Amino acid sequence: MLETLANRYTYILFALLVVVGLYMVVASSNLVKKIIGLNIFQTGLFLFFVTTAFVDGGRSPVIPKEADAGAAFASPLPQVLVLTAIVVGVALTAVALALVIRIYDAYGTLEEETLREVRTDE
Amino acid sequence: MTELFAVVLFVFVLVTALATATLRDVLGVVVVFAAYSLGMALFYAFLLAPDVAMTEAAIGAGVTTLLLLLTLAKTVRTTPDQWLERPNLPALAVFGALFVVLVATVVEFPAVGEPGVMWDNPGVTQYYIENAYEDTGVENAVTAVLAGYRGFDTFGEAVVVFSAGIASLIVLRQVVFTRE
Amino acid sequence: MSNNSNDTGTGKESAPGDWTTDSPMVSNPAESTYVESQIIMTTVRAVTPFSLTYGLFLMFHGADSPGGSFQGGAIIAATVLMIAFAFGVAPTREWLRNRTVVALAAGGTAAFALVGLVPMAFGDSFLAHPLFNEEFGIKTKWGLEAIEVGGVAPIVAGVLVGLFFVLAAGMFRDGDTTEPRTDGGAANHNRTDQPQTDDEGSPTASTGTEAQTDDTGMPAEDTTAGTGGDR
Repeated sequence: MLETLANRYTYILFALLVVVGLYMVVASSNLVKKIIGLNIFQTGLFLFFVTTAFVDGGRSPVIPKEADAGAAFASPLPQVLVLTAIVVGVALTAVALALVIRIYDAYGTLEEETLREVRTDE
Repeated sequence: MTELFAVVLFVFVLVTALATATLRDVLGVVVVFAAYSLGMALFYAFLLAPDVAMTEAAIGAGVTTLLLLLTLAKTVRTTPDQWLERPNLPALAVFGALFVVLVATVVEFPAVGEPGVMWDNPGVTQYYIENAYEDTGVENAVTAVLAGYRGFDTFGEAVVVFSAGIASLIVLRQVVFTRE
Repeated sequence: MSNNSNDTGTGKESAPGDWTTDSPMVSNPAESTYVESQIIMTTVRAVTPFSLTYGLFLMFHGADSPGGSFQGGAIIAATVLMIAFAFGVAPTREWLRNRTVVALAAGGTAAFALVGLVPMAFGDSFLAHPLFNEEFGIKTKWGLEAIEVGGVAPIVAGVLVGLFFVLAAGMFRDGDTTEPRTDGGAANHNRTDQPQTDDEGSPTASTGTEAQTDDTGMPAEDTTAGTGGDR
């Protein structure tokens, strides 16, 4: 049992990062911390994708011209997905931070409970 | 040697992720998040993905951290009186259960890096590895797939990044050029 | 302990739109959080040329080694952000005007689309790189290089730097009579002087249609459509 878990250590790390990220999104009271939790969740998923591309004892997918056909290479396809996803993730984070600045400008606070009370008072 | 390196990285990423979740001060959380991004970048490099590692290091530890610090400078940072956050017990219970469910699923996966398993689709992956240089003239298979075989997805992603710039201009109600 | 970041550039006694004359030590110290630090300035001065060169190297050599346009564009953007943190946002915006940033971002998208549309003019499909080899004798590799170096890298660099400048400018304020936010946030939800007066919760900052180059953001003009109903 421990042997199987040790062989799948990146998947366990992925599960932990997803759970930590979601916990931060749900349970933090500060809006900026929620955004950081979202980023942790995203990196956990990227770790999962990159693990599916990994081949033990292989090489990174830069294939030289005179490649011997028997060499094992890591698969390039999941890495392309993750590359695009990282850049889209930073764009998403930036728009979320713009919204946070605007919320702060309108309400003067970044705490979730305070915002909820203020908005129910309106 | 690589085993030791993997263990050290694993522990580093674990500790920084947990520290990000449990610290109370927002500035401390941002700094620990930068360290976490660096750890993840090293982990990607360890998993034979240098392109992903460079992108994560530049964007995660670089741009995202700077944007977060800028937001803290523009809004507020309340200095707290305690080190650690108050744990939210119902959320902890739910997410603990989710973690157990995910781990129970994970043991059904093949081992990390094992060749010839279900992810390693020989028809698709081997085609790209063998023919990337002949079709596109580019040695880096990731660039060949990104700009050659799947160029349309890259176009979509570039447009998404561009729209994020426009969206933040709209949210903060700024106009770029005056009419004069 | 103040954050070692940038000055907000919101206008004080200087003329509207004239954020270039703001010194880092502005007259309203609660607004500005720029702290001049010799260590950081010297280090950034030493590191920036190497960092920019490395970003350009990754961008151009992405075809034959790990790298590519995303990495190169992100590193260039991170270098510009580093300069902005070391020397203040206003001097950096004087160096990289709005025109440059917008030209990079919009030009990159246009270049990508144009390179993709050229095969369509010859009857092939969008972004069909082998067509360059058949029609013009250009090897397929240069189609990829064109969209990488001329398309994706300017977009990524331009948009990331532009997002930084947009966030640094903050919410657009008309007339800029903001009192500094010294309330520390969470304690004051019983304030009766909350800035919103319309039911959408947005500050009634935009009151008129005067073409005012406000120095809070990119030079701004409050058009009639820009008031608070444009969601």
